[in-house]
Amino acid sequence: MIPDLSVEIAGLSFKNPILTASGTCGYGEELAEIFDLSHLGGIVTKTITMKPRDGHPSPRTAEASSGMLNAIGLANVGVDKFIEEKLIYLEKFDTRVVVNVAGTCTNDFVSLCARLNDFPRADMVELNFSCPNVDVGMEIATDAKLAEETVSKVKKVFSRPVIAKLSPNVTHIADIASACESGGADAVSLINTLVGMAVDIDTFRPRLTNNTGGLSGPAVKPVALACVYKVYKAVKIPIIGIGGISNYSDVIEFFLCGASAVQIGTTLFVEPDAPVKIVKELKKYLSKNKIKSIRELTGKVRIYK
Amino acid sequence: MSKIVVEDVSIVKKNKLTPDCFTITVAPFSKTKSIRPGQFVHLQVPNCNLFFRRAFSVYSANTEEKSLEILFKVFGRGTAAMASLKKGDRLSLLGPLGSSFRKPKRNELVGLIAGGVGFPPIYFFARYLIENGFDPKKLFFFYGGRGRSDLIELTRLKKLGLNSILVTEDGSVGMKGLVTSSVEKWLLENKGNKVLYSCGPEGMLKAIDQLAQKYNIPGQISLEAPMPCGVGICLGCIKPLKSGGYTRVCKEGPIFEIGEIIL
Repeated sequence: MIPDLSVEIAGLSFKNPILTASGTCGYGEELAEIFDLSHLGGIVTKTITMKPRDGHPSPRTAEASSGMLNAIGLANVGVDKFIEEKLIYLEKFDTRVVVNVAGTCTNDFVSLCARLNDFPRADMVELNFSCPNVDVGMEIATDAKLAEETVSKVKKVFSRPVIAKLSPNVTHIADIASACESGGADAVSLINTLVGMAVDIDTFRPRLTNNTGGLSGPAVKPVALACVYKVYKAVKIPIIGIGGISNYSDVIEFFLCGASAVQIGTTLFVEPDAPVKIVKELKKYLSKNKIKSIRELTGKVRIYK
Repeated sequence: MSKIVVEDVSIVKKNKLTPDCFTITVAPFSKTKSIRPGQFVHLQVPNCNLFFRRAFSVYSANTEEKSLEILFKVFGRGTAAMASLKKGDRLSLLGPLGSSFRKPKRNELVGLIAGGVGFPPIYFFARYLIENGFDPKKLFFFYGGRGRSDLIELTRLKKLGLNSILVTEDGSVGMKGLVTSSVEKWLLENKGNKVLYSCGPEGMLKAIDQLAQKYNIPGQISLEAPMPCGVGICLGCIKPLKSGGYTRVCKEGPIFEIGEIIL
Protein backbone atom coordinates (compact mmCIF):
# COMPACT_ATOMS: atom_id res chain seq x y z
CA MET A 1 0.00 0.00 0.00
CA ILE A 2 1.30 3.41 -0.95
CA PRO A 3 0.41 5.86 1.81
CA ASP A 4 -1.65 8.84 0.73
CA LEU A 5 0.03 12.16 1.36
CA SER A 6 -2.52 14.25 -0.48
CA VAL A 7 -4.50 16.82 1.43
CA GLU A 8 -7.34 19.17 0.67
CA ILE A 9 -7.54 22.78 1.77
CA ALA A 10 -10.69 24.73 1.00
CA GLY A 11 -11.66 22.38 -1.80
CA LEU A 12 -8.24 22.50 -3.47
CA SER A 13 -6.21 19.32 -3.58
CA PHE A 14 -2.51 19.28 -2.76
CA LYS A 15 -0.38 16.28 -3.78
CA ASN A 16 1.31 16.43 -0.39
CA PRO A 17 1.04 18.65 2.68
CA ILE A 18 4.49 20.23 2.26
CA LEU A 19 4.53 23.86 1.16
CA THR A 20 7.43 26.26 1.31
CA ALA A 21 6.80 29.27 3.54
CA SER A 22 6.61 32.84 2.34
CA GLY A 23 9.90 34.72 2.49
CA THR A 24 12.00 31.58 2.50
CA CYS A 25 11.76 30.49 -1.12
CA GLY A 26 11.65 33.72 -3.14
CA TYR A 27 9.43 33.10 -6.16
CA GLY A 28 10.77 29.59 -6.62
CA GLU A 29 13.56 30.25 -9.12
CA GLU A 30 16.47 29.59 -6.77
CA LEU A 31 15.06 26.41 -5.24
CA ALA A 32 14.32 25.10 -8.74
CA GLU A 33 18.10 24.94 -9.29
CA ILE A 34 18.26 22.47 -6.41
CA PHE A 35 15.13 20.34 -6.85
CA ASP A 36 12.08 20.09 -9.06
CA LEU A 37 9.41 22.27 -7.50
CA SER A 38 6.81 19.75 -8.66
CA HIS A 39 7.83 17.71 -5.61
CA LEU A 40 6.13 20.32 -3.45
CA GLY A 41 2.53 20.34 -2.36
CA GLY A 42 2.74 24.05 -2.93
CA ILE A 43 4.91 27.12 -2.89
CA VAL A 44 4.00 30.25 -0.97
CA THR A 45 5.68 33.20 -2.63
CA LYS A 46 7.62 35.97 -0.98
CA THR A 47 5.22 38.67 0.17
CA ILE A 48 4.04 40.86 -2.68
CA THR A 49 3.15 44.51 -2.18
CA MET A 50 1.65 47.03 -4.61
CA LYS A 51 4.97 48.79 -5.20
CA PRO A 52 8.42 47.15 -5.29
CA ARG A 53 10.36 47.37 -2.04
CA ASP A 54 14.13 47.19 -1.40
CA GLY A 55 13.64 46.31 2.25
CA HIS A 56 15.87 47.30 5.15
CA PRO A 57 19.63 47.92 4.85
CA SER A 58 22.16 45.29 5.93
CA PRO A 59 22.47 43.62 8.39
CA ARG A 60 18.97 42.28 8.19
CA THR A 61 19.53 38.69 9.29
CA ALA A 62 21.26 37.37 12.40
CA GLU A 63 21.97 33.87 13.64
CA ALA A 64 20.22 32.83 16.86
CA SER A 65 20.21 29.70 18.99
CA SER A 66 18.44 27.05 16.89
CA GLY A 67 17.15 29.68 14.53
CA MET A 68 17.54 33.16 13.18
CA LEU A 69 16.31 36.71 13.39
CA ASN A 70 15.33 38.56 10.27
CA ALA A 71 14.13 42.01 9.42
CA ILE A 72 14.20 41.95 5.64
CA GLY A 73 11.41 44.52 5.45
CA LEU A 74 9.26 42.84 2.77
CA ALA A 75 11.74 43.29 -0.06
CA ASN A 76 9.89 42.27 -3.22
CA VAL A 77 9.47 43.05 -6.91
CA GLY A 78 5.99 44.56 -6.60
CA VAL A 79 2.77 43.11 -7.99
CA ASP A 80 3.26 44.19 -11.62
CA LYS A 81 6.62 42.53 -12.10
CA PHE A 82 5.44 39.58 -10.04
CA ILE A 83 2.58 38.93 -12.43
CA GLU A 84 4.64 39.58 -15.56
CA GLU A 85 7.69 37.51 -14.65
CA LYS A 86 7.39 35.40 -11.54
CA LEU A 87 3.90 33.99 -11.81
CA ILE A 88 4.55 33.04 -15.44
CA TYR A 89 7.76 31.30 -14.39
CA LEU A 90 5.78 29.16 -11.97
CA GLU A 91 3.44 27.96 -14.76
CA LYS A 92 5.69 25.04 -15.64
CA PHE A 93 5.60 23.37 -12.24
CA ASP A 94 2.98 20.91 -11.15
CA THR A 95 2.44 22.42 -7.71
CA ARG A 96 0.01 24.78 -6.03
CA VAL A 97 0.94 28.45 -5.98
CA VAL A 98 -0.10 30.51 -2.99
CA VAL A 99 0.62 34.21 -3.39
CA ASN A 100 1.39 35.96 -0.13
CA VAL A 101 0.36 39.62 -0.07
CA ALA A 102 0.74 42.51 2.34
CA GLY A 103 -0.31 46.10 2.49
CA THR A 104 -0.47 49.07 4.78
CA CYS A 105 -4.25 49.00 5.07
CA THR A 106 -7.30 46.93 4.19
CA ASN A 107 -7.58 48.62 0.81
CA ASP A 108 -4.09 47.51 -0.20
CA PHE A 109 -4.98 43.89 0.50
CA VAL A 110 -8.17 44.28 -1.49
CA SER A 111 -6.46 45.91 -4.49
CA LEU A 112 -3.71 43.29 -4.57
CA CYS A 113 -6.13 40.38 -4.41
CA ALA A 114 -8.44 41.94 -7.00
CA ARG A 115 -5.45 42.18 -9.32
CA LEU A 116 -4.38 38.59 -8.67
CA ASN A 117 -7.90 37.30 -9.19
CA ASP A 118 -7.40 37.60 -12.96
CA PHE A 119 -4.45 35.19 -12.86
CA PRO A 120 -5.59 31.65 -12.09
CA ARG A 121 -2.01 30.43 -11.55
CA ALA A 122 -2.40 32.13 -8.18
CA ASP A 123 -4.33 29.18 -6.76
CA MET A 124 -4.77 30.91 -3.42
CA VAL A 125 -3.75 34.07 -1.64
CA GLU A 126 -2.27 34.23 1.83
CA LEU A 127 -2.84 37.50 3.64
CA ASN A 128 0.28 38.48 5.55
CA PHE A 129 -1.30 40.15 8.57
CA SER A 130 1.72 39.44 10.61
CA CYS A 131 5.05 40.73 9.40
CA PRO A 132 6.68 42.20 12.50
CA ASN A 133 9.32 44.13 10.58
CA VAL A 134 7.45 46.90 8.90
CA ASP A 135 5.70 49.73 10.69
CA VAL A 136 2.46 48.82 9.03
CA GLY A 137 0.30 45.74 8.77
CA MET A 138 0.76 44.57 12.33
CA GLU A 139 -2.36 46.37 13.44
CA ILE A 140 -4.47 44.07 11.29
CA ALA A 141 -2.74 41.10 12.91
CA THR A 142 -3.53 42.27 16.40
CA ASP A 143 -7.00 43.69 15.84
CA ALA A 144 -9.62 40.97 15.44
CA LYS A 145 -12.21 43.32 13.98
CA LEU A 146 -9.85 44.77 11.41
CA ALA A 147 -8.67 41.26 10.47
CA GLU A 148 -12.25 40.11 9.98
CA GLU A 149 -13.11 43.17 7.90
CA THR A 150 -10.05 42.75 5.71
CA VAL A 151 -10.70 39.06 5.05
CA SER A 152 -14.31 39.73 4.23
CA LYS A 153 -13.45 42.51 1.77
CA VAL A 154 -10.78 40.35 0.11
CA LYS A 155 -13.28 37.50 -0.22
CA LYS A 156 -15.49 39.78 -2.29
CA VAL A 157 -12.78 40.39 -4.89
CA PHE A 158 -10.85 37.10 -4.91
CA SER A 159 -12.82 34.10 -6.13
CA ARG A 160 -10.41 31.38 -5.01
CA PRO A 161 -9.44 30.37 -1.45
CA VAL A 162 -8.07 32.95 0.95
CA ILE A 163 -5.68 32.11 3.79
CA ALA A 164 -5.02 34.47 6.69
CA LYS A 165 -1.48 34.20 8.08
CA LEU A 166 -1.46 34.90 11.78
CA SER A 167 1.01 36.46 14.13
CA PRO A 168 1.97 34.85 17.44
CA ASN A 169 2.65 38.33 18.83
CA VAL A 170 -0.90 38.70 20.16
CA THR A 171 -2.65 38.01 23.44
CA HIS A 172 -5.09 35.42 22.08
CA ILE A 173 -4.25 33.99 18.68
CA ALA A 174 -7.45 31.89 18.70
CA ASP A 175 -9.56 35.08 18.84
CA ILE A 176 -7.87 36.45 15.73
CA ALA A 177 -8.29 33.08 13.99
CA SER A 178 -12.00 33.02 14.83
CA ALA A 179 -12.39 36.56 13.54
CA CYS A 180 -10.75 35.57 10.25
CA GLU A 181 -13.07 32.58 10.03
CA SER A 182 -16.07 34.86 10.59
CA GLY A 183 -14.73 37.13 7.85
CA GLY A 184 -14.84 34.17 5.47
CA ALA A 185 -11.23 32.96 5.50
CA ASP A 186 -10.93 29.51 3.92
CA ALA A 187 -7.93 28.62 6.06
CA VAL A 188 -5.49 30.11 8.54
CA SER A 189 -1.73 29.65 8.51
CA LEU A 190 0.38 30.08 11.63
CA ILE A 191 2.71 31.17 13.00
CA ASN A 192 4.65 34.05 11.55
CA THR A 193 7.85 35.02 13.39
CA LEU A 194 8.11 36.05 17.02
CA VAL A 195 9.48 39.52 17.72
CA GLY A 196 13.07 39.22 18.90
CA MET A 197 16.31 41.11 19.31
CA ALA A 198 20.07 40.54 19.51
CA VAL A 199 22.82 43.00 20.43
CA ASP A 200 26.54 43.14 19.63
CA ILE A 201 28.29 43.66 22.99
CA ASP A 202 31.35 45.30 21.40
CA THR A 203 29.52 48.00 19.47
CA PHE A 204 26.34 48.09 21.63
CA ARG A 205 24.45 47.99 18.32
CA PRO A 206 21.50 45.72 17.64
CA ARG A 207 22.43 43.00 15.18
CA LEU A 208 19.69 44.18 12.81
CA THR A 209 19.37 47.69 11.38
CA ASN A 210 15.66 47.44 12.14
CA ASN A 211 16.72 46.93 15.79
CA THR A 212 14.18 44.16 16.30
CA GLY A 213 13.33 41.31 13.97
CA GLY A 214 11.38 38.12 13.70
CA LEU A 215 12.62 34.90 15.29
CA SER A 216 12.14 31.73 13.27
CA GLY A 217 13.58 28.24 12.99
CA PRO A 218 13.48 25.20 15.30
CA ALA A 219 13.58 27.54 18.31
CA VAL A 220 9.95 28.58 17.70
CA LYS A 221 8.48 25.14 17.00
CA PRO A 222 7.02 24.54 20.50
CA VAL A 223 5.37 27.98 20.41
CA ALA A 224 3.94 27.26 16.98
CA LEU A 225 2.59 23.86 18.03
CA ALA A 226 0.81 25.38 21.02
CA CYS A 227 -0.70 28.06 18.78
CA VAL A 228 -1.91 25.46 16.26
CA TYR A 229 -3.41 23.43 19.11
CA LYS A 230 -5.26 26.46 20.50
CA VAL A 231 -6.53 27.58 17.11
CA TYR A 232 -7.65 24.04 16.20
CA LYS A 233 -9.99 24.09 19.16
CA ALA A 234 -11.40 27.47 18.14
CA VAL A 235 -12.04 27.20 14.38
CA LYS A 236 -13.47 24.76 11.86
CA ILE A 237 -11.45 25.93 8.85
CA PRO A 238 -8.19 24.10 8.05
CA ILE A 239 -4.94 25.17 9.67
CA ILE A 240 -1.62 25.30 7.88
CA GLY A 241 1.11 24.85 10.48
CA ILE A 242 4.32 26.85 10.26
CA GLY A 243 7.24 27.21 12.65
CA GLY A 244 10.57 25.46 12.85
CA ILE A 245 9.70 22.36 10.85
CA SER A 246 12.88 20.62 9.77
CA ASN A 247 11.97 16.94 9.42
CA TYR A 248 9.07 14.53 8.99
CA SER A 249 8.46 14.08 12.70
CA ASP A 250 7.92 17.83 13.07
CA VAL A 251 5.29 17.57 10.34
CA ILE A 252 3.53 14.74 12.18
CA GLU A 253 3.54 16.78 15.39
CA PHE A 254 1.87 19.70 13.62
CA PHE A 255 -0.77 17.40 12.16
CA LEU A 256 -1.48 15.86 15.55
CA CYS A 257 -1.96 19.33 17.03
CA GLY A 258 -4.46 20.23 14.33
CA ALA A 259 -2.69 21.14 11.09
CA SER A 260 -4.00 19.96 7.72
CA ALA A 261 -0.85 21.02 5.87
CA VAL A 262 2.45 22.65 6.78
CA GLN A 263 4.94 25.16 5.47
CA ILE A 264 8.70 24.68 5.64
CA GLY A 265 10.53 27.96 6.14
CA THR A 266 13.84 28.72 7.78
CA THR A 267 15.02 25.13 7.39
CA LEU A 268 15.34 25.82 3.65
CA PHE A 269 18.20 28.18 4.47
CA VAL A 270 20.18 25.29 5.92
CA GLU A 271 18.76 22.32 3.97
CA PRO A 272 17.30 23.72 0.76
CA ASP A 273 16.28 20.22 -0.37
CA ALA A 274 14.54 19.44 2.94
CA PRO A 275 11.02 19.26 1.40
CA VAL A 276 12.04 16.38 -0.88
CA LYS A 277 13.54 14.43 2.02
CA ILE A 278 10.56 15.14 4.26
CA VAL A 279 8.06 13.86 1.68
CA LYS A 280 10.03 10.60 1.37
CA GLU A 281 10.27 10.16 5.12
CA LEU A 282 6.59 10.91 5.66
CA LYS A 283 5.71 8.07 3.30
CA LYS A 284 7.96 5.72 5.27
CA TYR A 285 6.44 6.82 8.57
CA LEU A 286 2.89 6.28 7.34
CA SER A 287 3.72 2.85 5.87
CA LYS A 288 5.50 1.73 9.00
CA ASN A 289 2.60 2.81 11.19
CA LYS A 290 -0.02 1.48 8.78
CA ILE A 291 -1.67 4.86 8.39
CA LYS A 292 -3.51 5.08 5.07
CA SER A 293 -3.65 8.83 4.76
CA ILE A 294 -1.88 11.67 6.51
CA ARG A 295 -5.28 13.37 6.70
CA GLU A 296 -6.23 10.92 9.44
CA LEU A 297 -3.71 12.51 11.78
CA THR A 298 -5.11 16.04 11.96
CA GLY A 299 -5.97 16.91 15.55
CA LYS A 300 -5.33 13.40 16.83
CA VAL A 301 -3.06 14.41 19.72
CA ARG A 302 -4.13 12.44 22.79
CA ILE A 303 -4.54 15.26 25.27
CA TYR A 304 -4.24 14.57 29.01
CA LYS A 305 -7.48 15.28 30.74
CA MET B 1 19.86 17.47 -13.27
CA SER B 2 20.36 19.90 -10.44
CA LYS B 3 23.05 22.53 -10.81
CA ILE B 4 23.38 22.84 -7.06
CA VAL B 5 23.49 19.79 -4.82
CA VAL B 6 23.59 18.95 -1.12
CA GLU B 7 26.01 16.08 -0.44
CA ASP B 8 27.76 14.51 2.51
CA VAL B 9 31.53 14.64 2.12
CA SER B 10 34.47 13.47 4.21
CA ILE B 11 37.59 15.35 5.14
CA VAL B 12 40.36 13.56 3.26
CA LYS B 13 43.16 15.95 4.14
CA LYS B 14 43.80 18.72 6.63
CA ASN B 15 46.87 20.94 6.83
CA LYS B 16 47.78 23.49 9.43
CA LEU B 17 49.62 26.25 7.57
CA THR B 18 50.06 28.64 10.51
CA PRO B 19 48.62 28.54 14.05
CA ASP B 20 45.31 29.91 12.73
CA CYS B 21 45.34 29.05 9.02
CA PHE B 22 44.19 25.72 7.64
CA THR B 23 43.47 23.93 4.41
CA ILE B 24 40.85 21.21 4.36
CA THR B 25 40.20 18.90 1.42
CA VAL B 26 36.83 17.17 1.18
CA ALA B 27 35.56 14.39 -1.11
CA PRO B 28 33.66 13.01 -2.88
CA PHE B 29 31.74 15.91 -4.37
CA SER B 30 29.92 15.16 -7.61
CA LYS B 31 30.09 18.68 -9.00
CA THR B 32 33.84 19.37 -8.88
CA LYS B 33 33.88 19.56 -12.67
CA SER B 34 31.47 22.46 -12.78
CA ILE B 35 33.17 24.57 -10.10
CA ARG B 36 34.67 27.79 -11.44
CA PRO B 37 37.13 30.12 -9.70
CA GLY B 38 35.34 32.62 -7.48
CA GLN B 39 32.56 30.23 -6.54
CA PHE B 40 32.03 29.01 -3.01
CA VAL B 41 30.56 26.11 -1.09
CA HIS B 42 28.34 26.20 1.98
CA LEU B 43 29.42 23.82 4.72
CA GLN B 44 27.44 22.63 7.68
CA VAL B 45 29.96 22.42 10.48
CA PRO B 46 29.19 19.32 12.56
CA ASN B 47 29.13 19.05 16.34
CA CYS B 48 28.66 22.71 17.08
CA ASN B 49 25.68 24.87 17.86
CA LEU B 50 25.82 26.96 14.73
CA PHE B 51 22.47 27.17 13.01
CA PHE B 52 23.62 28.38 9.60
CA ARG B 53 26.07 26.83 7.21
CA ARG B 54 29.37 28.65 6.65
CA ALA B 55 30.53 29.83 3.24
CA PHE B 56 34.03 28.99 2.03
CA SER B 57 35.58 30.07 -1.23
CA VAL B 58 36.98 27.17 -3.24
CA TYR B 59 40.80 27.07 -3.18
CA SER B 60 41.27 24.18 -5.60
CA ALA B 61 39.18 21.46 -7.19
CA ASN B 62 40.36 18.05 -8.35
CA THR B 63 38.00 16.54 -10.90
CA GLU B 64 39.62 13.09 -10.90
CA GLU B 65 39.53 12.69 -7.13
CA LYS B 66 36.20 14.53 -6.92
CA SER B 67 37.74 16.61 -4.16
CA LEU B 68 37.82 20.26 -3.37
CA GLU B 69 40.04 22.25 -1.08
CA ILE B 70 39.29 25.26 1.06
CA LEU B 71 41.71 27.55 2.87
CA PHE B 72 40.60 29.54 5.87
CA LYS B 73 41.80 31.57 8.81
CA VAL B 74 40.11 31.25 12.19
CA PHE B 75 37.98 34.38 12.68
CA GLY B 76 34.80 33.42 14.48
CA ARG B 77 32.84 30.49 15.82
CA GLY B 78 32.34 28.85 12.42
CA THR B 79 35.98 28.83 11.40
CA ALA B 80 37.02 27.84 14.94
CA ALA B 81 34.72 24.82 14.72
CA MET B 82 36.07 24.00 11.26
CA ALA B 83 39.63 24.13 12.59
CA SER B 84 38.79 21.48 15.17
CA LEU B 85 37.65 18.93 12.56
CA LYS B 86 39.82 15.93 11.78
CA LYS B 87 40.55 13.76 8.78
CA GLY B 88 37.65 11.37 8.33
CA ASP B 89 35.03 13.72 9.77
CA ARG B 90 31.93 14.07 7.65
CA LEU B 91 30.00 17.20 6.83
CA SER B 92 27.24 18.37 4.53
CA LEU B 93 28.29 20.43 1.53
CA LEU B 94 25.97 22.63 -0.53
CA GLY B 95 27.29 23.88 -3.82
CA PRO B 96 28.73 25.00 -6.10
CA LEU B 97 27.37 28.45 -5.37
CA GLY B 98 27.62 32.00 -6.62
CA SER B 99 29.13 33.65 -9.67
CA SER B 100 32.66 33.13 -10.99
CA PHE B 101 35.42 35.27 -12.49
CA ARG B 102 35.10 35.82 -16.21
CA LYS B 103 38.05 34.99 -18.40
CA PRO B 104 40.28 37.88 -19.46
CA LYS B 105 40.78 38.60 -23.15
CA ARG B 106 43.92 37.16 -24.77
CA ASN B 107 45.40 40.62 -25.34
CA GLU B 108 44.97 41.75 -21.75
CA LEU B 109 47.57 41.93 -19.03
CA VAL B 110 45.97 40.51 -15.94
CA GLY B 111 46.40 42.05 -12.50
CA LEU B 112 45.37 39.56 -9.81
CA ILE B 113 45.19 41.19 -6.39
CA ALA B 114 44.83 39.16 -3.22
CA GLY B 115 44.76 40.64 0.26
CA GLY B 116 45.36 38.24 3.18
CA VAL B 117 42.67 35.57 3.27
CA GLY B 118 41.37 36.83 -0.07
CA PHE B 119 44.10 34.61 -1.49
CA PRO B 120 42.20 31.35 -2.23
CA PRO B 121 39.86 32.42 -5.05
CA ILE B 122 42.54 34.53 -6.72
CA TYR B 123 45.03 31.67 -6.58
CA PHE B 124 42.40 29.26 -7.96
CA PHE B 125 41.68 31.69 -10.79
CA ALA B 126 45.37 32.14 -11.67
CA ARG B 127 45.88 28.38 -11.72
CA TYR B 128 42.73 27.85 -13.76
CA LEU B 129 43.85 30.40 -16.36
CA ILE B 130 47.28 28.78 -16.69
CA GLU B 131 45.79 25.31 -16.93
CA ASN B 132 43.55 26.63 -19.68
CA GLY B 133 46.45 27.89 -21.75
CA PHE B 134 46.78 31.46 -20.55
CA ASP B 135 50.36 32.77 -20.72
CA PRO B 136 51.64 33.02 -17.10
CA LYS B 137 53.90 35.90 -18.15
CA LYS B 138 50.78 37.99 -18.67
CA LEU B 139 49.58 37.30 -15.13
CA PHE B 140 50.71 39.66 -12.35
CA PHE B 141 49.83 38.35 -8.92
CA PHE B 142 49.84 41.07 -6.25
CA TYR B 143 49.73 39.55 -2.80
CA GLY B 144 49.37 41.95 0.12
CA GLY B 145 49.16 41.71 3.89
CA ARG B 146 50.15 43.45 7.07
CA GLY B 147 53.20 41.29 7.58
CA ARG B 148 54.90 38.00 6.85
CA SER B 149 52.29 35.87 8.61
CA ASP B 150 49.52 37.17 6.33
CA LEU B 151 51.19 35.86 3.19
CA ILE B 152 50.48 32.15 3.30
CA GLU B 153 51.11 29.49 0.66
CA LEU B 154 53.94 31.36 -1.05
CA THR B 155 55.59 28.13 -2.21
CA ARG B 156 52.44 27.06 -3.96
CA LEU B 157 52.04 30.49 -5.56
CA LYS B 158 55.63 30.44 -6.88
CA LYS B 159 55.00 27.08 -8.55
CA LEU B 160 52.52 28.72 -10.90
CA GLY B 161 55.41 30.52 -12.62
CA LEU B 162 53.62 33.82 -12.96
CA ASN B 163 54.83 37.29 -11.96
CA SER B 164 54.31 37.58 -8.25
CA ILE B 165 54.58 40.86 -6.41
CA LEU B 166 54.56 40.54 -2.63
CA VAL B 167 53.71 43.60 -0.57
CA THR B 168 53.53 43.95 3.22
CA GLU B 169 52.68 46.97 5.31
CA ASP B 170 55.60 46.32 7.67
CA GLY B 171 58.01 45.38 4.89
CA SER B 172 58.78 41.96 6.39
CA VAL B 173 58.26 40.30 3.01
CA GLY B 174 58.51 41.85 -0.46
CA MET B 175 57.88 45.52 -0.91
CA LYS B 176 56.89 47.75 1.96
CA GLY B 177 53.56 49.56 1.69
CA LEU B 178 50.05 49.00 0.53
CA VAL B 179 49.28 46.57 -2.26
CA THR B 180 47.13 49.19 -3.99
CA SER B 181 50.17 51.46 -4.45
CA SER B 182 52.01 48.63 -6.23
CA VAL B 183 49.00 48.00 -8.42
CA GLU B 184 48.78 51.69 -9.33
CA LYS B 185 52.46 51.75 -10.24
CA TRP B 186 51.96 48.67 -12.43
CA LEU B 187 48.98 50.25 -14.15
CA LEU B 188 51.07 53.33 -14.97
CA GLU B 189 54.15 51.41 -16.12
CA ASN B 190 52.41 48.99 -18.46
CA LYS B 191 50.91 50.09 -21.73
CA GLY B 192 48.07 48.21 -23.43
CA ASN B 193 44.90 46.60 -22.22
CA LYS B 194 44.72 45.53 -18.63
CA VAL B 195 42.15 43.91 -16.39
CA LEU B 196 42.01 43.58 -12.61
CA TYR B 197 40.62 40.85 -10.38
CA SER B 198 40.66 41.22 -6.64
CA CYS B 199 39.66 39.59 -3.39
CA GLY B 200 40.51 40.71 0.13
CA PRO B 201 39.44 42.97 2.96
CA GLU B 202 36.69 45.43 2.02
CA GLY B 203 38.97 48.45 2.56
CA MET B 204 41.40 47.08 0.00
CA LEU B 205 38.60 46.22 -2.43
CA LYS B 206 37.26 49.73 -2.15
CA ALA B 207 40.70 51.13 -2.97
CA ILE B 208 41.07 48.76 -5.95
CA ASP B 209 37.56 49.62 -7.13
CA GLN B 210 38.40 53.33 -7.04
CA LEU B 211 41.79 52.82 -8.66
CA ALA B 212 40.30 50.82 -11.53
CA GLN B 213 37.68 53.47 -12.13
CA LYS B 214 40.27 56.25 -11.96
CA TYR B 215 42.29 54.63 -14.78
CA ASN B 216 39.22 53.25 -16.53
CA ILE B 217 40.40 49.64 -16.17
CA PRO B 218 37.78 46.87 -16.25
CA GLY B 219 37.75 44.15 -13.70
CA GLN B 220 35.97 42.24 -11.00
CA ILE B 221 36.03 42.01 -7.24
CA SER B 222 35.03 39.18 -4.95
CA LEU B 223 32.94 40.25 -1.97
CA GLU B 224 32.34 38.63 1.34
CA ALA B 225 29.26 38.80 3.57
CA PRO B 226 27.67 36.63 6.20
CA MET B 227 25.41 34.35 4.18
CA PRO B 228 22.61 32.53 5.95
CA CYS B 229 21.38 30.49 2.96
CA GLY B 230 24.00 30.88 0.23
CA VAL B 231 21.48 30.19 -2.53
CA GLY B 232 19.64 33.51 -2.81
CA ILE B 233 16.46 32.83 -0.87
CA CYS B 234 16.97 34.52 2.51
CA LEU B 235 17.97 37.96 1.15
CA GLY B 236 20.32 38.46 4.09
CA CYS B 237 23.68 39.03 2.36
CA ILE B 238 22.82 42.18 0.44
CA LYS B 239 25.06 45.03 -0.79
CA PRO B 240 23.83 48.33 -2.19
CA LEU B 241 24.10 48.73 -5.97
CA LYS B 242 25.27 51.97 -7.58
CA SER B 243 22.29 51.70 -9.91
CA GLY B 244 19.95 51.60 -6.91
CA GLY B 245 18.53 48.87 -4.72
CA TYR B 246 20.39 45.87 -3.39
CA THR B 247 22.02 42.80 -4.81
CA ARG B 248 22.69 39.42 -3.22
CA VAL B 249 26.33 38.58 -2.56
CA CYS B 250 25.58 34.84 -2.63
CA LYS B 251 23.64 34.80 -5.90
CA GLU B 252 24.50 37.69 -8.23
CA GLY B 253 27.90 37.65 -6.49
CA PRO B 254 30.26 37.03 -4.86
CA ILE B 255 31.99 38.25 -8.04
CA PHE B 256 30.93 41.73 -9.09
CA GLU B 257 32.10 44.17 -11.75
CA ILE B 258 34.30 47.09 -10.82
CA GLY B 259 32.08 50.08 -10.04
CA GLU B 260 28.95 48.00 -9.61
CA ILE B 261 28.68 48.01 -5.82
CA ILE B 262 28.67 50.87 -3.31
CA LEU B 263 31.53 49.83 -1.04
